[in-house]
Amino acid sequence: MPHPTQSFVRNGLLSVIDAAAYAVIGPHLEPVDLPKGTVLIEAGEPFTHAHFFNSGIGSIVVSTPDSQRVEAGIFGRDGLSGFGSLLGVDQCPQTTMVQVEGEGYRVSIEALRTACRQSDSLRETLLRYVHVFISQTSYTSLSNVSQSVEGRLARWLLMCHDRVTGDDIALTHEFLSIMLAVQRPSVTTALHMIEGYGFIKARRSNITIVDRDALIDFADGMYGTPEAEYRRLIGPFG
Amino acid sequence: MSRFYLHQKTANGIIEDPDGTEVVDLTAARHEAILAARQLLANAILAGVAPLGTAFHIADETGQVLLEVPFRDALPPGFISTNE
Repeated sequence: MPHPTQSFVRNGLLSVIDAAAYAVIGPHLEPVDLPKGTVLIEAGEPFTHAHFFNSGIGSIVVSTPDSQRVEAGIFGRDGLSGFGSLLGVDQCPQTTMVQVEGEGYRVSIEALRTACRQSDSLRETLLRYVHVFISQTSYTSLSNVSQSVEGRLARWLLMCHDRVTGDDIALTHEFLSIMLAVQRPSVTTALHMIEGYGFIKARRSNITIVDRDALIDFADGMYGTPEAEYRRLIGPFG
Repeated sequence: MSRFYLHQKTANGIIEDPDGTEVVDLTAARHEAILAARQLLANAILAGVAPLGTAFHIADETGQVLLEVPFRDALPPGFISTNE
């Protein structure tokens, strides 16, 4: 079966590993489309594949028994779904879904584990990504308790902006309210305020980032550390 | 199920609800408005600022306002100085 050459892949993990590591994983990569709303991993159910994104955004979400949801973390071409498989598990309590459509490669859990046994460099890169992801969720939890809805929204928009091409992010207020676990009018109001400061333009189902640097200042230190960890430990980001 | 829009009335005009929400009836829409007003008021109190809005205008898909829900209706009974 033909598989993508390393110079062709845009996933940040697959493009930084050395050629020997890529030779081990590359033959197992199957190109896949990642339509919006696709559930890649269902909470509490065994999963069979990991997905390396080239584009789009994946979201890891946790729910209460009465379906109140909050997003625990996001990833895109910087990462992969199903990294629990690297830690030896094949099911987890979070749901992983596609939040902004994209494309990438899927690889079976067995093939990924075998490749990691064959290549120290591959395994170490992927485990460093797990560390970066934990850093991101740590800052999400700090942001959730310390920031206003506007501050949390600003941070989250920056995290999405890092993972899309261009300055437009196509999301409804309803979706944002689920991701931030707030009532929908709180999102509408927060967008109105941030737009009033001139940082974004909010249109129906679309947000345009206008002044990224100002948004970073507004996020008040809650954005940037996990992203710096990625650059320090893995490679180019954003 | 019907789609209701929670437009927010402020001192400087209306903040439009672009998406609306699917609920069974106007009573359910009012309940959503009350929960949303509580969160907006709570966020304003935590930030130490006045809330931007003062009421929700609940509208249907044609844009007709069916009900006004003042934010004060979202306060629990006996909340400080609501009866003064």
